[in-house]
Amino acid sequence: MADLGPDDIRRLAASLALPLEGDDSTEIAHRLNAFLDALASLSTLPLDRVEPWPTTPEGAA
Amino acid sequence: MSQHEDDLAFAGAARQAAFMREKRLSPVELVTAYLDRIERLDKTLRAFITVCGERALSEAKRAEAEAAAGQWRGPLHGIPFAVKDQLDTAGILTTSGSALLRDNVPPEDSTVVARLKSAGGILIGKLNLTEFALGGTIRFPYGQPRNPWHPDHDPGGSSSGSGIAAAAALCSVTLGEDTGGSVRSPASYCGAVGLRPTWGRVSRHGCFPAAWSMDQVGPLTRTVEDAALVLGVIAGHDPSDPTTSRSAVPDYRAALAAGVKGKRIGVITELVDGADTQAEVRGAVREAARGLATLGATVEDISLPLISHSGGVFMALCDSEAAGRHKPWLATRASEYDTGTRRRLLAAGLIPAAALHQAARARSLIREQILGALAKLDLLLAPTSPHPAPAIAFHTAPVTSKEEAGRRFFGRRSYTTPASLAGVPAISVPCGFTRNNLPIGLQIIGRPLGESAVLGAAGAWERAAGLSMRPPSHQ
Repeated sequence: MADLGPDDIRRLAASLALPLEGDDSTEIAHRLNAFLDALASLSTLPLDRVEPWPTTPEGAA
Repeated sequence: MSQHEDDLAFAGAARQAAFMREKRLSPVELVTAYLDRIERLDKTLRAFITVCGERALSEAKRAEAEAAAGQWRGPLHGIPFAVKDQLDTAGILTTSGSALLRDNVPPEDSTVVARLKSAGGILIGKLNLTEFALGGTIRFPYGQPRNPWHPDHDPGGSSSGSGIAAAAALCSVTLGEDTGGSVRSPASYCGAVGLRPTWGRVSRHGCFPAAWSMDQVGPLTRTVEDAALVLGVIAGHDPSDPTTSRSAVPDYRAALAAGVKGKRIGVITELVDGADTQAEVRGAVREAARGLATLGATVEDISLPLISHSGGVFMALCDSEAAGRHKPWLATRASEYDTGTRRRLLAAGLIPAAALHQAARARSLIREQILGALAKLDLLLAPTSPHPAPAIAFHTAPVTSKEEAGRRFFGRRSYTTPASLAGVPAISVPCGFTRNNLPIGLQIIGRPLGESAVLGAAGAWERAAGLSMRPPSHQ
């Protein structure tokens, strides 16, 4: 997937009614692209083997 | 200030409490000593957002009268404490480090503050933090907190003021809140002891949430014994927080005597030997591991490869939870946020939902791997941070690429977030210094509700290492 740019961020934010300030869009693009890369790397894991259980102090004990 | 007054200020809360029982120290004397230190040092350190001087002195006089009459409220009778400004305090400004809450005065105490007061503690002030306990604040609305070992360096966060106030002896004990390392990181950077309890061991009622599924209140102190003392007071079920455990609260101070003999300890190779870990940090942690072996533990290396994903997984889950909480304010009051906080929340608000669900499953895998290791071993060992406190300027520089964003926001967090994702207890205890005289933190991770073993090992190491943790008095 191609990296998102500042224009993409402005469109996404506008669609969610999230106002941006100044040059927010450039840094947010870097941050969001870092998130998307980190989460894409999870596809190599056996995610279907587990369920997203919440943590409970006793349940985990 | 005289050597005697310095010694008094740096004495642990457990010793101070004992002095009070022996009539060698009065609550008024102790509160006055700390107010003097705050007045002298906090112009530079900026640990405090609010100092409750008159109120604390008034309560100290009452505590003194009660002590004279033989009436002791509890184990913290007359002991001055301060808490992260994320924790509600009745009738006292509670900002969560944000300009958005500049006028917020809660009507009641958070459960942990109420419990410290019930045990006799005296609230001396509210402590600085990164905005909304999220980290990455560029301009602190209530002053730039500074590391007591070197004022140009970061004190760590998000419980910045809690780490500073504990390390610089601005009060007896403090509370912080740890979502992904926010108690352990400032403890490591400032040379204090910081304990993240098991998720659900301590009430979150009255704590402004960062990420509800991982938030946990914990003590930052100068000694392991004080961490045990405070945990014993604040731990336990709270009807106001349905996630709190109903398990009995052990006598954590008594558990310190067990030490580390016979314990099986695994050194997490990905964190100790990883490329991001600075050589001085690696050396100090390896030395501590050898020290624990000398004390009777069986120490071995263990590989937990999924830990490499923990920084990204944690940030996606934590920040999206926070973005959901802040969405109404982001829509209407965005300009009141610090630039770093606003951009962090807005970026997280744009993560695709399907990717977040994958992150939640990855969290289960990471937790499974950690709990699997802890089924064979009693404790895990790692650096708290791959490096000592960086310069403050590191955090204020603009983010210029996705690679830099990944390194800056995910990399360091891979060291503390594994325990957060797994919901298990972890402590940071000082284990040495760099050549530049900045503290290094040793992280000890335990089984769910295994705080006694964590504290026992940390206490054994602390006694054996015998480090002097008084920051230079250059402020």
